[in-house]
Amino acid sequence: MRQLIKTFKVAFQAIFKNKTRSLLTTLGIIIGVAAVIMTISAGEGATKQIQDQIAGLGTNLLMIYTKTEHRAGAHVRMGKPINKKDFEILQKNSVWISKLSPLIVSVAQAIGPNGYKSIAIYGVSDQYFDILSRDLLTGEYFKEEDVKTARKVCVIGKTIKDELFLDLDPIGRQIRIDKIPFTVVGFLKEEGKGAMGQDQDDIILAPYTTIQNRLSGHRRGYDIIMASATSEDHITNAKFEATQLLRETHRILEGEENDFEITTQVELQEITGNITGILTILLGAIASISLLVGGIGIMNIMLVSVTERTREIGTRLAIGARESDILTQFLIEAVTLSLAGGTLGVLIGIIGNQIIYKITNFYIPTMLYSILIGFGFAAFVGIAFGYFPAKKAAKLNPIDALRYE
Amino acid sequence: MVLNLKNRKMPQKKVIETKKVCRVFKNGEIEVHAITDVDLIIDEGEFVAIMGASGSGKSTFLNILGCLDKPTSGDYYLDGVHVNKLNKNQLADVRNQKIGFIFQSYNLLSRTTAIENVELPLVYNRTGRFSNSKELAKKALEQVGLGDRLNHKTNQLSGGEQQRVAIARALVNDPALILSDEATGNLDSKASINVADLFVELNNKGKTIVMITHEPEIAQFAKRMIYLRDGRILTDTIIENRSTKESALKDLELTA
Repeated sequence: MRQLIKTFKVAFQAIFKNKTRSLLTTLGIIIGVAAVIMTISAGEGATKQIQDQIAGLGTNLLMIYTKTEHRAGAHVRMGKPINKKDFEILQKNSVWISKLSPLIVSVAQAIGPNGYKSIAIYGVSDQYFDILSRDLLTGEYFKEEDVKTARKVCVIGKTIKDELFLDLDPIGRQIRIDKIPFTVVGFLKEEGKGAMGQDQDDIILAPYTTIQNRLSGHRRGYDIIMASATSEDHITNAKFEATQLLRETHRILEGEENDFEITTQVELQEITGNITGILTILLGAIASISLLVGGIGIMNIMLVSVTERTREIGTRLAIGARESDILTQFLIEAVTLSLAGGTLGVLIGIIGNQIIYKITNFYIPTMLYSILIGFGFAAFVGIAFGYFPAKKAAKLNPIDALRYE
Repeated sequence: MVLNLKNRKMPQKKVIETKKVCRVFKNGEIEVHAITDVDLIIDEGEFVAIMGASGSGKSTFLNILGCLDKPTSGDYYLDGVHVNKLNKNQLADVRNQKIGFIFQSYNLLSRTTAIENVELPLVYNRTGRFSNSKELAKKALEQVGLGDRLNHKTNQLSGGEQQRVAIARALVNDPALILSDEATGNLDSKASINVADLFVELNNKGKTIVMITHEPEIAQFAKRMIYLRDGRILTDTIIENRSTKESALKDLELTA
């Protein structure tokens, strides 16, 4: 016990006598640990953000659209367009679908009191807001009545408001869309970037009947029918039911392929799950490399000091240190430096994540497992490469250790 | 060729006794016989100089005496203890408690103060004999004339001073035997004479000293001289007119 206390003293003396070496070792560990924590956490943050946004779209969502194929570099419609008939069949007969809205996209020029912009205007029914769970900031949604009578009203997102109205309150004011005046009745709550990076606030919604009457015409049908299942659990039933109903309406024979497609939120989640999975693997690879680089840094400084330290070990052995004294001393040194470096590395990693959050507003949760991996690996490398060369040297005859070149 | 010096006034304690000690280095297929069948007895209070050309095996022999290396064959008794039979830890303790070893290249810890270097053997001492190691280290440094350099780091000291720190480190454990492997090899003539004089002083206080040197004028300070050639003892003689610091310095002036 007394000997152990003395050895502790010797070890700490050695650490403080060789400040540069100790500092470099610690620095290697700090950088290794911080890099691992930050890369893993950034990956997790990105993954979580994507998943959240997809979930935010509503998980019982179904999207029905005409089948397209990629031909000669362009998307070509393969079946007859989804139209009013399809919509009414679903509305009348579906058990598992609770809400439905057509979606017609029309590109137009919009002019507001304080600006103009080339926009895509979405023609939807009043149920659209429920299906996609879009909340209002001010004003109100347009109603079933507005859709039936094809009134020239619209609901706008924040980006549109900012560009067309600047600081004006948009409610009750007019936007001219391809020279047709639309009255703004609702202003949507800000939603931010969508799962695929699109701006979900760069949006104008109007009754689809108005769009058809005034802008797009009736011939084309609908671009998409948006629907929500009665509940998340019934989404598969809803999809199956809708498929059967549409096959009937489109007179598709058994064995023939559908001329439409139905995508559900679950499927979308699976796709993004794949994407984020790939992202995680990529970030894992980057983290492994930073781990490796950090590890090699630690290893280098430990091994480089071996020559000097082998002679030191020889000296200590020559004046009567036991092998165990040397090993304990080097173990204490390696553990101390690894723990100090590891702790500082964790702190810097956490602070780094906070700084990134402050600067980019991209929230990075510091993952506990990244701390464990980073800290554990750095400590392992630091201790292993501090200890094993010393063990080898301590086993030598004192005279061989003294003569080590 | 061994001349046994039996004309003693009283029975003395043997500090060193070697019997047919050999050391063979194997370098692949080649065997190098560094020392062969060395029989030697050194009694308490002796001051022995070992001389010989380089490659004569004197360092190898001293390393074995200092328990830094092991003989390939033969027996070595140190202060009555059969060293061959000791395990690693016991050998470490022997080095720590019975031997003070001085190297040509000092082998001090770098970036460390003189007093911390001298204290080091006491750190590894497990007998609990030395409770106040700082005090003892200070005393040892004062003994070698470095009482005013206690807290100087090794790189702030001259070669002669560094060697005296190393000597203080060899003394601090109050060992039975002081071994010196060309302690003056890196020093100028004057510093060498000072170190040799320090050895005489220590010997006068009762320390047994064995030193290797290739400088005849330094060897002349000792009481007995052993000459090695090709790993065997060639001559073993008593030195008649020993040098003193004064005579050596005078000679130095004459040759200068």
